[in-house]
Amino acid sequence: MASTSELDRVSMVVLRYMRKPFFALVLVYAVGIIGMALIPGRDADGNAEYMSLFHAFYFFTYTATTTGFGEIPGAFTDEQRLWAILCLYMGVIAWLYAIGSTIRLLQNPHFLQAVNEHRFARTVRHISEPFFIICGFGDTGSLLARGLSDHYLGAVIVDSDPERIKALALRDYRVKMPGLCADASVPKHLVDAGVKHPCCEAVVILNNDEDINLKIAVMAKFLNPSVRVICRSTSGRHQDHLSALGGVTNINPFEIFAQLLSMAITDPQLHNLNSWLVRAHGFELGNPLQVPGGDWILCGYGRMGRWFHKYMVDQGINSVIIDPDAEEKDESEHVIHGYAGSETLKEAGIENVAGIIAGTDHDSDNLSILMSARRLNPDVFVIVRQNNHENQLAFDAARADLTLQSSLTTARRILKFLISPLIQTLIDYLRDQEPAQTEQLIHRLKTAVGEQTPHLWRVNLCENETGAATEYLGKGKTLRLGDILKDPRNRSDLLSCVPLMLQRDNDSMMLPPDMEHVRAGDEILFCGTEQSESLLLATLNNPYTLHYVVTGTDVPRAYFFSWLTRMFNKTKSSAAPA
Amino acid sequence: MNLERVVFGFFIVLALTLNFVFVMGEIDNYQHHNVWILTIAILVNLIATGLKLGDRTQVGALLLAASLVADLLLISARVVWIIADSDTASGPSPEAMVSIVSIAGGALVANIVSTAILIGDTLMSRR
Repeated sequence: MASTSELDRVSMVVLRYMRKPFFALVLVYAVGIIGMALIPGRDADGNAEYMSLFHAFYFFTYTATTTGFGEIPGAFTDEQRLWAILCLYMGVIAWLYAIGSTIRLLQNPHFLQAVNEHRFARTVRHISEPFFIICGFGDTGSLLARGLSDHYLGAVIVDSDPERIKALALRDYRVKMPGLCADASVPKHLVDAGVKHPCCEAVVILNNDEDINLKIAVMAKFLNPSVRVICRSTSGRHQDHLSALGGVTNINPFEIFAQLLSMAITDPQLHNLNSWLVRAHGFELGNPLQVPGGDWILCGYGRMGRWFHKYMVDQGINSVIIDPDAEEKDESEHVIHGYAGSETLKEAGIENVAGIIAGTDHDSDNLSILMSARRLNPDVFVIVRQNNHENQLAFDAARADLTLQSSLTTARRILKFLISPLIQTLIDYLRDQEPAQTEQLIHRLKTAVGEQTPHLWRVNLCENETGAATEYLGKGKTLRLGDILKDPRNRSDLLSCVPLMLQRDNDSMMLPPDMEHVRAGDEILFCGTEQSESLLLATLNNPYTLHYVVTGTDVPRAYFFSWLTRMFNKTKSSAAPA
Repeated sequence: MNLERVVFGFFIVLALTLNFVFVMGEIDNYQHHNVWILTIAILVNLIATGLKLGDRTQVGALLLAASLVADLLLISARVVWIIADSDTASGPSPEAMVSIVSIAGGALVANIVSTAILIGDTLMSRR
């Protein structure tokens, strides 16, 4: 339906622009052709001869378009030539006018917008793979699109800023990412972007304007109540509205950022594992940050600073806040008013603290805090917040102990949620466990995956995905997790992957042991190399390979050898008692 | 090493080589092509087909298909030989010989495909 109205708009614009030039052309052609047909010519014998209407049209066509084949069929009389001159000028002018109007039409912004929308809607309609809708192509949006493209997942992008859509056209994504410059809170644009498309997996709303985000979330939920919606919102009012909608995941960049930061301070092992799993740059598995214990200085007490402080209080870490606008609510809080400089840092006790968090919303302030802190106490652990993606080079050069970028952490969290929501469950689970368990897992992952990039995938033990394994289990035989993890090339080796989670009947078992018996219908989350995924799937889909990894013997494949083996075994068993 | 793979590989490769032995030589000269070799090639091909029955993998299905093609073509070549040979005392005419050898050539291609799949599958499993 939406596309019809789109076409109507296009045809309306075309008609409005092309009506006059079309009439002008018709009129000029009619006058020229009729005139040519009425003026008598002369044949070779001197008799009067009239041009037929078809010949007149032929003559006018090549004259008006300045092709000029000459005087066909015979030489013209002077009267005819006079009319031909008139025809030529009239025709050329009419054509110039028509071409000019066409060019003006093609440059008309309404026409262009209508054509773009139509083309975009058509591209989206023809998508046959699962895709996501990203509303808002800012720092976070573009990082998310990059992450999706790295996993060969498609996205449809809607942003109201034409500059961002132009930027999108220049990206070299591995998959097609159609973009539309439009206001996503208009339902028509959401429908064009595929919110009702059966392959639409989720709508991710990342605009900076939270009122608009709320509007888009509401529209998306109304248009397709079953679609997953992930919405950026930082204020409590919006979050209340969104949670009332149901099925909307709230993303608060400040909270995610603070969570990650507190994880880095209180549980460096887990932070290390998490960073490695999300393929963060420069993290080596099993090489966690060496975060010293003690008091901390927190520079910047805005929206993000408040979240840091909340998490630090929860974790029982004492901190001194430096901020020009911070209000002292509580006696226990130690707040220093003013900008973080040498004086205030000294006042906060920079010489004795374990670390400092430069967390203001200005990158230059954060970098200067880093430099002053290093000068006053070279051993201090510095965590810097990077606000703007463009300042990457400066932050790389600053060599802070940990640089956290809000848009990147948010994009990674959303990506993790979209690709393998189970990973966050695992991280949350490990946070509540003894650190030894994290260490054990890291050790296992390190042995299995080593230096390679981690790859996460899910195996569903069902008929379509793992034919041989389901058949095997269907015969009443048991299959242990440790069996299928054996390398089909040599079963004394193990595949380079680790099962992280097993889901069965809505229950999830974290870090399932090798002795666990798998059942049909189980879903298992693995982390390993890409090669191990294909080897594992080959095992689970080939009855002979599966038999080999379980028992260590090759079962005869064809009828003849099966029969031969049976015969051989029978003779052996009948021979044995005797 | 596994006895099934040895026997299996033996018959597939033997089928290919016998087929090649028959096809070798001038295409229209019946003295260059031995009808005994053709008959044995058919026999070996049929055995190879029989050994392939029952494999439930995709590769097994493809192997069986290629083998069936080779059987069909070799038997056709033998039938043409019988028809061409029956009315002359000195063996098939050069025209008949050309069709016999080219049909056997087609079977050779099917056997090459079969062997290539077998080798590929063995290399893929890497043990």
